[in-house]
Amino acid sequence: MKILVVEDDADLRRQLTNALTGRGYTVEEAADGEEARYLGLEFPYDLAIVDLGLPKLSGVEVIRQWRTHDIPFPVLILTARGDWQDKVEGLEAGADDYLVKPFHMEELAARLNALLRRAAGHASPVIEIGPIVLDTSARTVHRNGVMIKLTSYEYRTFEYLALNAGKTISKTELTEHLYHQDYDRDSNVLEVFVRRLRGKLDPDGSLSPITTVRGLGYRIEPPAGS
Amino acid sequence: MRLPTLRLPHSLRNRLLVASALLLPLIMLLAWWALLQSYHTSLEASVRERMQLQVYLLLGAAEVNASGVALPPVLTEPRYGQQGSGLYAALHQSDGKLVWRSPSSALLADIIKPPPVDMPTPGQPMFDHIADHQVYRIRFPVIWETLEQEYQLMFTVLESDLPTRQAVAAYRSQLTFWLLAVTMLAWLIQWLIMSWGLRPLSTLASDLQQLEAGERKQLAGNYPTEVQAITDNLNHLLTSELQQRERYRNTLGDLAHSLKTPLAVIRGAGEEGLSAAQYQHTIDEQVLRMNQIVQYQLSRAVKTSNKTPLNAGIALRPLFERIMGALQKVYRDKAVETELIIEPLLSYAADERDLMELLGNLLENAFKYGHSQVRVSAENHAQWLQIEIADDGAGVSPEQRQRILQRGERADTSVQGQGIGLAVAVDIISSYGGGLNVADAPEGGALFQLSLPLTRSG
Repeated sequence: MKILVVEDDADLRRQLTNALTGRGYTVEEAADGEEARYLGLEFPYDLAIVDLGLPKLSGVEVIRQWRTHDIPFPVLILTARGDWQDKVEGLEAGADDYLVKPFHMEELAARLNALLRRAAGHASPVIEIGPIVLDTSARTVHRNGVMIKLTSYEYRTFEYLALNAGKTISKTELTEHLYHQDYDRDSNVLEVFVRRLRGKLDPDGSLSPITTVRGLGYRIEPPAGS
Repeated sequence: MRLPTLRLPHSLRNRLLVASALLLPLIMLLAWWALLQSYHTSLEASVRERMQLQVYLLLGAAEVNASGVALPPVLTEPRYGQQGSGLYAALHQSDGKLVWRSPSSALLADIIKPPPVDMPTPGQPMFDHIADHQVYRIRFPVIWETLEQEYQLMFTVLESDLPTRQAVAAYRSQLTFWLLAVTMLAWLIQWLIMSWGLRPLSTLASDLQQLEAGERKQLAGNYPTEVQAITDNLNHLLTSELQQRERYRNTLGDLAHSLKTPLAVIRGAGEEGLSAAQYQHTIDEQVLRMNQIVQYQLSRAVKTSNKTPLNAGIALRPLFERIMGALQKVYRDKAVETELIIEPLLSYAADERDLMELLGNLLENAFKYGHSQVRVSAENHAQWLQIEIADDGAGVSPEQRQRILQRGERADTSVQGQGIGLAVAVDIISSYGGGLNVADAPEGGALFQLSLPLTRSG
């Protein structure tokens, strides 16, 4: 999951980036409104965290412009003043949730999780794919009640595919959402991750939860009844 | 080359004076011309009347003898006998033959023309001014019937225009003098009126200077009505500015004081030799507390204390819709069912920021603690705007109610973890002179009933 952090205060930006990277997100940063507007319009993020008081272009304006260009990713606004005028304006401009500064990183993580889930169309943090249970808030994967240990990249790959269950995800899209822009995309690291993931999720090969669609990408079948 | 720019006077009075200095002479000139014309016309009318009379006198004096119509050698009007007297007369026959000429006209032979070949209609006097010879002329064709014969005759009377010209000249100089005098006087009076009429503005300017110099805090309240409106508004602005400054100062003071306690706790904790976990816990706790203090004071500073807001009123329905729309977005997962019972045109005179803060805080509680239902209604009842916000959550316990309703309770003394939203809401309600009641909603959750006065004193 790739997140754009827009915050002009360098310390807070660093804290946010560290906290989010530590939770397995890929983070890109923007320090002012202009940069944020450009990045948001150019790159496919999964979510953006936008501070309202930004230099060059206000946070509300950045969001408004994204939405005018049909940029769909959810936006969480950060506000220092915390008054309702700001909140309502931000939400009306197209933001999806707000958080008043200062905040706990846990609170932020919970909100992000909810927004990402909601964006993928899942109301519950728990996604079941057959006997495999993915808990996006605890960031755990169980199979028949037994926890499967995944590395951060493996987890993120699985989570992205699971949240987009039913859709075929190209390798390019997957790479874009999991790694930084400057990551070497030609490598076959992704294939290695997917192979190892398959091995961990389905050691005996009876489930094959992740199917390869030749020439197109990977796909997880949606759980029955959803 | 630079063209000289026309500089308009900066003073209001000078502008008006310049304008009238341009306009007044124009009007006076027009009046001068019109008066002169009408005087001239009336003079000529009286000359004509007089000359007509002379014609009748001559008619009366004429008599018929053997050779035809004749006039006596001596007439009652002595000027006919005196050469160059200014009054001349002649009598022609229709064939152009001169019958008689007054002795006075001895030197004017060439002016007295015979009648035209076609005799004009008898009895119609013809009056004209012969400018070349400076005379007025009246010609009067008549038909004189005797028992034997019918004579077609033409009486001509000439009168010098000198008296008329003299009268007009005298009138013109008099008129010019008086109109000039009136212009000057009007100008002077105008200058005085303007100085007097615009004096309040210069008083205002000097008052403002004193205000700026800090010699006074308000503009003295004795101005003409038009200016009073401005000064009243200025005073209003000054008062609210002063109050705002006062409030900021108080807030700043409160803020500094109330932050000292948590700071002292943190400092103390540093010297206490606590375990890392305990220390972190203390810091966390105090940060939370300081955050609450800052939030509370911030919202208090933003809040207006204008008892009489300058706006006409905030439409409530759109305001509720905006806030609830925003909250629906935040609490989308909950799929809260909302009901809004408000007349579309209901409005309330208050600061929009205050209302938004107040309703935002109360509505967010309803969305947060309600399970799936939020009901909002607002209506005017007697002298109060009554708003009800109900949810279907767990409700508010009596102890909590008590705590919410304790006015003036400072957020920094409130129980840890309790949001400051309600404290701010209560603060705003009481600043508007309103009241808040917490009860059980028919939906099963909390019911917040707030009433705000429709008219406020002060």
